[in-house]
Amino acid sequence: MLSPLAGQVERYMDLLTARQKLVASNIANADTPGYHTQDIDFQTEFQNAAGGPPRTIEVQGLQVKNDGNDVSLDRESRLLSENAMRFQLASNLLRSEMRILRSAIQEGGKTS
Amino acid sequence: MPAPILPVSPAALPDAIRLPGESAGSGAFQDVLAGAIHSVEAFGQDASASVQRFLAGEGEELHSTIMATQRAELSFELFQQVRNKVVSAYQEIMRMQM
Amino acid sequence: MSLFSVLSIGASGMAAQRIRAEILTQNLANAETTRTPDGGPYRRQDVIFESTPAESPFSSVFNAQMEAAGGVAVSQVVTDSGAPEMRYLPGHPDANSEGYVAFPKINPAEDMVDLMGAARNYQANVAAIGAVKDMIERSMDLFR
Repeated sequence: MLSPLAGQVERYMDLLTARQKLVASNIANADTPGYHTQDIDFQTEFQNAAGGPPRTIEVQGLQVKNDGNDVSLDRESRLLSENAMRFQLASNLLRSEMRILRSAIQEGGKTS
Repeated sequence: MPAPILPVSPAALPDAIRLPGESAGSGAFQDVLAGAIHSVEAFGQDASASVQRFLAGEGEELHSTIMATQRAELSFELFQQVRNKVVSAYQEIMRMQM
Repeated sequence: MSLFSVLSIGASGMAAQRIRAEILTQNLANAETTRTPDGGPYRRQDVIFESTPAESPFSSVFNAQMEAAGGVAVSQVVTDSGAPEMRYLPGHPDANSEGYVAFPKINPAEDMVDLMGAARNYQANVAAIGAVKDMIERSMDLFR
């Protein structure tokens, strides 16, 4: 039911969701002393056919403030928007595929 | 005198609609129906399991659960159409045999 | 974690930043307060943030183990215990025997900048909640 591509798109949405959760945590902890920005290695996780929950990693190369916190609100805000837009795109792709399939099923029923 | 019209059970349906000349092993209609039923059951079970996990708060994502239920719906709709086709094909053939 | 529990992460961020803003505003309002009910000048206060595990009434215990840091909370409000700033004002009603008045040790400019930071972070948390809510709604759109 539905193409194998639909499974890929769902996996994409899983990873976007995981990433967005971490972005929200980063934003909430933007002032927490010692807190390190968290993320997932999106491309690697997407290539990984095995699936399952993605691994949380600490982002390297960020500027660290005096209290040990390295959250960049600019980075997190950008990711927040990007993840949201990609998720919207993915859900539209799935809806489109389902519409086509449903239409094909119903059309098939009409000819007799 | 034509053969008496016997009530047809669902199990006998595939045999009854097999065209004369077709080998006994083909069962094309039977395979199609069986395949569709199996598909519906499988997707239905996947959907139930997904909903269970979601309700229990076991980390199932909302879109995964929705997609599982949509797959179950779509496979059922497909099955309904297939069944309708099979039944009308059978009726067509029965008319011919008269 | 489900997307729904992320809403409470954003909410915790909003709550923490609001408390921070309140404390900073209190500092600014009392920058010149030389007399408090406890005696002595106003003492500057600060908030300490701490990560909290993400929780939702809907998650199972099994799920809680897979989570990294989630939300945030104010773990304590600390009061400055250092020496106050002394200014020579012999005519002041709160002057001591040598003519010095104890003032709060507050740098209003600093607290003002922090306050703007708190407001900005509060907004960022609001945006995060909005984005997550949107994703939940988009998922629901997958229903026909």
